[in-house]
Amino acid sequence: MSYKILEKKEIAMRNIWYRIHAPHVAKKVQPGQFVIVRAFKNGERIPLTPVMWDRDEGWIVLITFIRGRTTMRMASELKEGDELLNVAGPLGNPAEMEKFGKVLAIGAYTGIVEVYPIARAWQELGNDVTTLHVTFEPMVVLKDELEEAVGRHVLETVPIDPNLDFPTNMKNVTKRLTEKVRELLEKEEYDMVFMVGPAGDQRAVFNVVKEFGIPMKSDLHPIMVDGTGMCGACRVTVGGEVKFACIDGPEFDAYQVNWDELIARSGYYTDMEQRAMQEYMKALQGGEQ
Amino acid sequence: MAVKRKIIKERVPTPEMPAEERIKSFAEVNLGYTFELAVKEAERCLQCPYNYAPCIKGCPVHIDIPGFISKLVQYRDDPDKAVKEALNVIWACNSLPATTGRVCPQEDQCEMNCVMGRVGDKINIGKLERFVADYAREKGIDEELLFEIIPKIEKKGQSVAIIGAGPAGLTAAGELAKLGYDVTIYEALHEAGGVLMYGIPEFRLPKSIVESEIDKLRKLGVKILTDHIVGKTVTIEELLQEYDAVFIGSGAGTPRLINAPGINLNGIYTANEFLTRVNLMKAYLFPEYDTPVKVGKKVVVIGAGNTAMDAARSARRFGAEVTIAYRRGPEDVSARVEEVHHAKEEGIKFEFYINPVEFIGDENGKIKAVKFEKMKALDERDSRGKRKIVGTGEYVTLEADTVIIAIGKHPNRLIVNTPGLKVERGKIVVDENLMTSIPGVFAGGDAIRGEATVILAMGDGRMAAKAIHEYLTKKREEKENA
Repeated sequence: MSYKILEKKEIAMRNIWYRIHAPHVAKKVQPGQFVIVRAFKNGERIPLTPVMWDRDEGWIVLITFIRGRTTMRMASELKEGDELLNVAGPLGNPAEMEKFGKVLAIGAYTGIVEVYPIARAWQELGNDVTTLHVTFEPMVVLKDELEEAVGRHVLETVPIDPNLDFPTNMKNVTKRLTEKVRELLEKEEYDMVFMVGPAGDQRAVFNVVKEFGIPMKSDLHPIMVDGTGMCGACRVTVGGEVKFACIDGPEFDAYQVNWDELIARSGYYTDMEQRAMQEYMKALQGGEQ
Repeated sequence: MAVKRKIIKERVPTPEMPAEERIKSFAEVNLGYTFELAVKEAERCLQCPYNYAPCIKGCPVHIDIPGFISKLVQYRDDPDKAVKEALNVIWACNSLPATTGRVCPQEDQCEMNCVMGRVGDKINIGKLERFVADYAREKGIDEELLFEIIPKIEKKGQSVAIIGAGPAGLTAAGELAKLGYDVTIYEALHEAGGVLMYGIPEFRLPKSIVESEIDKLRKLGVKILTDHIVGKTVTIEELLQEYDAVFIGSGAGTPRLINAPGINLNGIYTANEFLTRVNLMKAYLFPEYDTPVKVGKKVVVIGAGNTAMDAARSARRFGAEVTIAYRRGPEDVSARVEEVHHAKEEGIKFEFYINPVEFIGDENGKIKAVKFEKMKALDERDSRGKRKIVGTGEYVTLEADTVIIAIGKHPNRLIVNTPGLKVERGKIVVDENLMTSIPGVFAGGDAIRGEATVILAMGDGRMAAKAIHEYLTKKREEKENA
């Protein structure tokens, strides 16, 4: 199998667009599903979401947010014409396709790229879809595409304050996110809320949504390894039961999710990820000398 | 061979890396025979006649064991020829001898009924098999033999899809390719090998050996599509439209968890996750390899099968103090004798008759201890012949910063959800020919058994290949006669 990179471009700060030859995925993928990518021989298996695809031409589009070493290496070491080692999928269950009515679909940061195919399909199905994207100013993606695909696209950006550290900057995004959700829910009546984004932001939004008693679906992204239900790394407690996000999800009822547990599990490797990243940056600098 | 031989009671031992050295690396523990040592051990074999030989009966794939052993003695003056002849005998039944020679529970199978056992040590069949495979690989003899076999294969013009590139699927693929069928394997992970790659550690089965065995299947014409998840990327119904038969060797994919509070605390791994990180993703080479794993100072492994031993011994190699906790007694340990022995040599502690009831975490959601109930065994036995156990109401707590759950697996749900496929308690139901409820679809290995050994899965793969051959021959004849 050859997973050639047909196109690669930086579409916003730290957001890289890859159009990849992967006919087996393109043929089958449905909104809500994901793939597992392994880019390098010593790389990780990382879950990514096909944002767009062409079944006839056999390609899919993946957008990565440079976050850890693998996404950083993909951005700096791969160019158009290169190949990814593996693209496995599609995995996970497709998003439910129903007429929900008026839907608010929220994406925090690059979460919006996963919202896009689902929101678009919901709109096509006759739902009235509002998408909300909250991110840092230089990280806006898919604005035009969303404006075209759904009833209304609301974009909220937060400037990056260079005097603040990154976690504090992120808190500002969370704050804006919850404020905006509250504002929208107060103004209009929604039948359903859907969200993709970091677990902490999802919980923050859920806490707002539940005040309004509106049903909420969450697309969960716990740490994953194989993605086929074999390893159990991605387990989450939903409604008191242990579920595997890869084969039972990735979509779950936000009211049933044990958020504290999910957030704790998501951060388990942060220290090692940082170490890997630092070593990589050191090696990069060393190589440039 | 009517040569009268003296009976040598003692087994010729295989050299092993000393325990204190091997816990510092993932290099292979058992170093295997040299040709001279292998011949010495082979000479001990009494050469029971084929129809009688109890070792053959004990082997799930019925390798002609006295047959291959005799070649080593017969051509002792020409090691290359001896190995080639021996390998030819083994290959008639088993395409993966370097693997089975290492991971089969020989003591419960071929070696169990070895006649030599009545007077002395049983023949070291597994290590002899491994020797033949290793020597052949190192000298390129296996390639030579392969290229002699390939031109003789008569193409049948029919195709078979195989789901899963683990021991069952690889064996079925090898057999069917040798019979002249076009074989394509659909594998979900990025590497073929299944449990041989993700589950069994490097120190017991080096990955380069598995890769070399798979490479030989490719040379036989077997196509392997990695990254294809049957049930998602392609369905069994679609495979049936494209292929003349399908074999499901999808294994026992889903780990069993313990229904106790705190099971999702950080630091609690399923054995599958832990071993996949370590073996398949090479987390022991982090940060050279990107995938991390966290092994604390005090590791508790729950369960006492081969997977538990593999997990415990892997954790030990990260410098941890490791305890295996088992709810039953030593007599019920299902791991191989050799693995338990190696684990003990490596300083792994065993705690029996304790059953986990609660996982205790710290304020960050990270495991710090496991609470166990002390168990006791009754005289009464359960359906598997094991003594029944009951709780005593007394508890004990073990400190742990890493816990690995190794209590078994369920078959993978993606496959068993196929419409029309009869499944009972998660296991695919098959008839005596390993055919499922869908005509033309066969299954074997853990997908039908729940959880077994590599060689049992291979036995199924071989039996299914035979059944598929018969099924397709009939189909072909019907078509020709129509």
